[in-house]
Amino acid sequence: MSSASLLRTQIEALLAARIPSALTPLPRSIRPVAATGIRNVDELLKGGVPLGAITEMVGPECSGRTSFALSYIARMTQAARVCAWVDVSNTMHPESAAAAGVDLSRLLWVRCGVPVTTSMQQSSKDGFALPEKYLIPPPIKKGLHGGGFGPHPRSEVKGLSDAVGDFLRPEVTEPRCAEPQRKVRHASEIFEPDLPQTVTNGRKPVASSKPWLRIDQALRVTDLLLQGGGFSAIVLDMGSIPPEYVSRVPLATWFRYRAAAERSQASIVLLTQHACAKSSAGLVLRLQSRHALQEEPTVFTGMEYRVDVERERFTVDPTNVVPLRKPPQSERSAKWHSRATWVGRR
Amino acid sequence: MGRPPVTKPVELYACLYAKEFPAQALLRLRPELRHKPCAVMEGEPPLQQVCSLNSKARALGVAHGMTRVEIDTIPSVAVLQHSSVEDACARKTLLECAGTFSPRVEDRSNDNAFLCVIDIAGVETLFGPPSTLAKNLQEQVRTLGVAASVAVSSNFHAAICLARGASSRNQVAIIAPGQERATLSLLPLAVLDLSVAQAETFSLWGIRTLGMLAALPEKELIARMGQEGNRLRQLARGEHPHHFLPGEPTFRLEEHMELDTPVELLESLLFVIGVMLKQLIVRATARVLALSSVTITLQLEGGASHIRLVRPALPTNDLQLWIKLLHLDLEAHPPQAAIVSLALTAEPGSTSKIQLGLFSPQLPEPMRLDVTLAHIRAIVGDDCVGRALLKDSHQTDGFRMEPFTVPSGPESELNSNQHRAATRQIRPAENVAVTLQAKRPEAFSFREKRYAVEHAYGPWLASGDWWSPTLWSFEQWDLVARSHDGLLLCCCLVRDLTGGCWQMVALYD
Repeated sequence: MSSASLLRTQIEALLAARIPSALTPLPRSIRPVAATGIRNVDELLKGGVPLGAITEMVGPECSGRTSFALSYIARMTQAARVCAWVDVSNTMHPESAAAAGVDLSRLLWVRCGVPVTTSMQQSSKDGFALPEKYLIPPPIKKGLHGGGFGPHPRSEVKGLSDAVGDFLRPEVTEPRCAEPQRKVRHASEIFEPDLPQTVTNGRKPVASSKPWLRIDQALRVTDLLLQGGGFSAIVLDMGSIPPEYVSRVPLATWFRYRAAAERSQASIVLLTQHACAKSSAGLVLRLQSRHALQEEPTVFTGMEYRVDVERERFTVDPTNVVPLRKPPQSERSAKWHSRATWVGRR
Repeated sequence: MGRPPVTKPVELYACLYAKEFPAQALLRLRPELRHKPCAVMEGEPPLQQVCSLNSKARALGVAHGMTRVEIDTIPSVAVLQHSSVEDACARKTLLECAGTFSPRVEDRSNDNAFLCVIDIAGVETLFGPPSTLAKNLQEQVRTLGVAASVAVSSNFHAAICLARGASSRNQVAIIAPGQERATLSLLPLAVLDLSVAQAETFSLWGIRTLGMLAALPEKELIARMGQEGNRLRQLARGEHPHHFLPGEPTFRLEEHMELDTPVELLESLLFVIGVMLKQLIVRATARVLALSSVTITLQLEGGASHIRLVRPALPTNDLQLWIKLLHLDLEAHPPQAAIVSLALTAEPGSTSKIQLGLFSPQLPEPMRLDVTLAHIRAIVGDDCVGRALLKDSHQTDGFRMEPFTVPSGPESELNSNQHRAATRQIRPAENVAVTLQAKRPEAFSFREKRYAVEHAYGPWLASGDWWSPTLWSFEQWDLVARSHDGLLLCCCLVRDLTGGCWQMVALYD
């Protein structure tokens, strides 16, 4: 035994009662991570999102969760991996995903709770359909003109008042720019929505207020995907489901997912409005929108977001020696921004 | 110098003979009845007669031509109805099996028996000597669920006679060249298709075997029975020549079965489907092929039919996988009435081989993925699983769903580092209450929350489909709004100018 190691053994033996194995570095397990493609966030997370664990992205609507998840999925699919997007509210926009760089052929998209519309509705939406009134033959007129199809002279002026009214619409009668303008106080106009009508074909209508069926479908689908294996990332998008529903999902479900993810080294990304996976989540990120970018006066250009690491399960302490003073704290938040698809390179 | 001697081309024929074929064709797909006495009835009730039976039924005293009443007096005999479709299907299957040994196959079947002759001259290098070939042929036929005898001879008719005269069903008989007469001599006259008058004449003469017929003097026989007598004598001596007329057996993976009683339960149907699939897989495997898709056609009570197509990502011969896929598909799309008969048609494909890489990323296993996707389809519906394919269109929801398969292409190029704001499409669009000020949105209520608009970008006019009465004219606004508790909302509102209503179509997230 060399003198250095002998010395170390002796010191450790002396200090064993106070500091066990003081001079032996702790065995470190290296946990694999995958980059999200957002530089600031990758630096914050020291590499990226953990593989084989649940990552929860918590935040209200418009807080950048979808952009974040799409950026991560884009990175995954570009590395020839296969991912799945379990869409609880059927809100994914494939054009956005493609614009974010996602290879759509490598993304399995499962849309939950989609009502089956009737064929009649479908046909009228897709193809040309003449309104019913044009299909009714004109009634045969009997009377003054002996059955001729010409209108009665009395009805020739029918609709004239409407036509004149159209000429007098505000945008037509408004003063042009050079004319002296009178200050007009506009009254507020309020539009109230009608009740939504959904016609379904035999299947149970999915009310947006009661998303149990959709959540149940999504959880079963995620279970199947995890059992089947081979998906590198599974996004469970519950971002539009109110927290009172999501928080009622049994904790055993998240525990099961965590175990399955650890086994298959799949990374589960959970988009929610409220943290629900609790201790099963490997990483909890809280996202919030800061403000909208105002780079152009006439078009919406994008938003700036802030991401905070709320909880990280596997943080590695650099040493097993407890310091007397408070150690330097690492940064726990980052900022990033995303631009709309129609905005050019800046 | 003399002319070189004309060599006679070598002839060698294998005859495949399956007697009581209507019964065998029905029992092929009903393995549970194979060990029971069975009789097949033909004709319209009540004038049904036994047209075919198995050996166990014969042992109980059942005979051809018995009526239904006579059969009912014998207990424990299972009675099946003759099905010409199943019969034809089984015949095709056997012909196709024979076709794997030689392309030249002549079909000589009649109503009650299957008989085909295969020209096996010159296939020794491929299939070995005739005895090995005959055994292999018989083994293949047995895996198809049919018991048949095989006879090999250099004379076409001698092979037929020997196959017909085989004492047991599973017999392989080979006649050495030149030994035809001696081998056939002990066979009864019934192996030749004699007319009633000829049979009567021979019985009067005391001729009972082919050897006795072969020994008759030629000229005297012709003087008494004409050229037909000479033909029979040549057949008995194994010398009658034959002009071979090969058919062209088509390779079509098809199985048909008529159920004894209408079936409503899917689980009981799966037993039948399993047996039929097994047959299809055996036939495909014999040609080193795999099933790439299976179409199941269910004939329902009332004349309707229910057709489903199942196509996994890769061709496979895994029976359990096929049963699972068909089960899930039929569970998701159940037939509307009881099932009377079913037919399975399969498309063959090449057996799949995938080259895996040591450093390639982990991908879903295609077979397991098929089952997983079928399970998911049963949960969320057919059109809601797959990969999105973008259409070249500016319409909202300008995409269509395609079945998901694991792509095998290379890695795609990395895009630029520009992060794009994702859109969350709200389907269907939600109606919102909007307050306008100078024709611009000032505030709106969305999901029971009031938002004040900070910035409104628009309106962008969109006419939609001009021919559609519902999508005449739209006004689109991109809004940046904030609620009273400070929550920022960036959204896309659409105003339907014809309907005069405002709808929330998307959120920028």
